[in-house]
Amino acid sequence: MRRRTFLRSLLAVCGTLSFASFAYPLLRFLAPPGDTDKEKKVTLAKKDIPVGTSRVVLFDQKPVIVINHQEKGFIALSKVCTHLGCLVEFNPATDILLCPCHAGTYDLEGNVLSGPPPRPLAKIPFKVEGEQLVIG
Amino acid sequence: MVKRIRDWLEVRIGLDELIRQNLTEYRVPKHINLFHALGAVAVVGYVIQVITGICLLIYYIPHADHAFRSVQDIMTKVPYGWLFRQMHVVGSNLLITAVLLHMVTIFLMGNYKRPRELTWVSGGMLLIITLGFGLSGYLLPWTQLSYWATTVVTSIPTAFPVVGDFFTRLLRGGNYVTGITLTRFFAVHVSILPPLFVLFIALHIALIRRIGLSATPFGKSDEEKRPLTEYRKKTHPHGHPYYPYLFQRQVLMGIMYFIVMFAIVTFAPTFFFPEEATVPADAFQTPENIRPEWYLLAPYQMLKLIPNKFLGILMQIILLAVFIFWPFLDTHKEKNILKRPILRGVFIVIMISLVILMWWGRR
Repeated sequence: MRRRTFLRSLLAVCGTLSFASFAYPLLRFLAPPGDTDKEKKVTLAKKDIPVGTSRVVLFDQKPVIVINHQEKGFIALSKVCTHLGCLVEFNPATDILLCPCHAGTYDLEGNVLSGPPPRPLAKIPFKVEGEQLVIG
Repeated sequence: MVKRIRDWLEVRIGLDELIRQNLTEYRVPKHINLFHALGAVAVVGYVIQVITGICLLIYYIPHADHAFRSVQDIMTKVPYGWLFRQMHVVGSNLLITAVLLHMVTIFLMGNYKRPRELTWVSGGMLLIITLGFGLSGYLLPWTQLSYWATTVVTSIPTAFPVVGDFFTRLLRGGNYVTGITLTRFFAVHVSILPPLFVLFIALHIALIRRIGLSATPFGKSDEEKRPLTEYRKKTHPHGHPYYPYLFQRQVLMGIMYFIVMFAIVTFAPTFFFPEEATVPADAFQTPENIRPEWYLLAPYQMLKLIPNKFLGILMQIILLAVFIFWPFLDTHKEKNILKRPILRGVFIVIMISLVILMWWGRR
């Protein structure tokens, strides 16, 4: 290898490493890591959600809608639309969850009925313990 | 006294030479019209945004707990705060209108053709930067409208696998739109976009000055009916001097800009403030009937109509790329759109489609 080629290659490697040594911290600085601390379980009193109504709670930093349906009992779904992140609203008259941003609709299982959402709404696990609902 | 100041400047900066070169001896084509002044109108619009933006900066607090309150205080308590905010908000909409109109007229006159491809691309970059100003500034009042519009916009990268979530987190500074997003957008609005804008406007103007102002392809005596194939600065020796010929037109259009702005500020002050823009941001309630700004209505409606999220967003990115790099796709030598029926037809169809999508999105 000629001395000139060697020095050019060395300069390119050193330049790239120097750039990367600044770029990596900058990238890490700008994009914080995802949340690692999972939230503890959320407890609700069953009587606070009469049949035919719903309530929104914050679980794992996400808004969750808990619906007390006449036939299906309690249902817990993420309120975050899988299209572009707006919050869906529950319409008890039609049993449909509607996203006001781009008109995506979901059924009570969270399945997409119409519109652009690519995935169903996330189902949130919960347990009924006596008179309490434990989300998570 | 004035003469002494003039002489003093003449010795040091060559004032007479500057005026001669840039105003009285700088020639513009004979067949220019009011539309040639739209670029200058956009510059006037940017200057207004900078001045009113600095005024707002004095009272605005970029913190999630105070942003909404500080904007309300600007509107209600600070003397003439309402005026500067109205001018900034109305001005941002008018500015986007001016830039879009400028690009449409350049397109219709075929002035993006060789050797002005880079002038068009730099103009396209300025349009994107202007939209960036609009989007980053939109969140700052921390209202329901701004919060949810930002949620939607920052969710767009999630359509792309692998890197999508990373870019969304990069934009938001976390998993959701929070106070961190607000400070980030504030930083982008006041310190990242302005130098980028200066860079591209300098490039844009330098390219115009180097190649010369473009003529319309419609005039009978214009020498520029076909695109140039080699560098030849168009000095337009038989044209008119820039000052006062084009300058007068630019001043007239600048006055028109102010008239429209103050007409909206005076007679329709709520025109750009829907109800959601007066309610503080609530992370747990997406407002019903939320709509983006008028210039985003067509993409918004397209996102609603295309059932696949990835396809919907990919199509918008492709359309934007086609628009920005159009000079490299349209290599036809004819500049006059009246002699190009297919291009004319495509242009009309696109315009009608945009109007329909905007009207549909508004409903």
